[in-house]
Amino acid sequence: MNDKVKEVLAEVFDMKSSEITVGLTKDDIDTWDSLRQMDLVTSLEKEFDIRLEMMEIVSLDSVAKTVEILKSKGVDVGD
Amino acid sequence: MLEIKNKVAVVTGGASGLGLAIAQGLVKEGASVVVLDLDRNKLDLLPDEIEKYCIDITNYELVQQTVDSIVSKFSKIDILVNNAGVIYSESFINIMNPSCMKHSYDRFKKNLDINLNSVFIMSSIIAEKMVINRTQGVIINMSSISAQGNAGQTAYSAAKAAVEAMTKTWSKELGVFGIRSVAIAPGFINTESTNHALNEKTIKHIKSNTPLKRLGETLNIFQSVKYIVENDFVNGAVLQVDGGLTI
Repeated sequence: MNDKVKEVLAEVFDMKSSEITVGLTKDDIDTWDSLRQMDLVTSLEKEFDIRLEMMEIVSLDSVAKTVEILKSKGVDVGD
Repeated sequence: MLEIKNKVAVVTGGASGLGLAIAQGLVKEGASVVVLDLDRNKLDLLPDEIEKYCIDITNYELVQQTVDSIVSKFSKIDILVNNAGVIYSESFINIMNPSCMKHSYDRFKKNLDINLNSVFIMSSIIAEKMVINRTQGVIINMSSISAQGNAGQTAYSAAKAAVEAMTKTWSKELGVFGIRSVAIAPGFINTESTNHALNEKTIKHIKSNTPLKRLGETLNIFQSVKYIVENDFVNGAVLQVDGGLTI
């Protein structure tokens, strides 16, 4: 996962980029609630110029899933 | 600045009074307007360019079906004006009626259903469409100066205060999607319902207590709607349009 993805997630969840790892789920991140979920969606859409569908929005429940969805949209997320 | 032209607007209670003035104003500015109202006779008098639905907006399922069909026809909804409501007055304790001094609980609940729950129903269903379609729309809720508390209007004041609270809450929650939520709190406006609800003496008293010494006109309320739609940095505000009465 590259720094840009980490930065977006860190910004949305009020964390440090260094704390964002691919193994984190929403249960591990205290600030990940429904309001932040909306923030996450709009931040990802704006930053990577993509449009998330409703099924993708509701399935965003972990960093790994976020990365997977970004990849499926053709976003370069690094290794 | 946002243009009203080519926007799709839904106005509740738009077949008469303030709602009608708002609907007509939006049409004049080039919006596609859909009016929801309970009064079929008044709906029938609206021009053909306005889409009409005769519907009880306290019925969740009916509202869902209606909004689905509006979106299916127009593809989106940009503007929701929650105007429908009923002014209701009843003393909290009426010492003139010793056999039943208390405010009716049934009437309290019914009033909240009309003036508050309908706003929740309309807004939640339309906001969902706005979010799904990424429409950077605006929800305009009609409040009242009674939201600040008005003797003899427990239910109405409570409903309008709650409408203002919902407006501010939604402005914070939906702002991230570019959806705005704004309330208008009209004072006494020269409409059929005002003239029906208040006698001449009361209207004279109101005029005398209003710094501008007159009632507002329906055009003043449409001008507020226009300002809110066009100024896309206005969010979470309650616009007092009362001639200075509440100062």
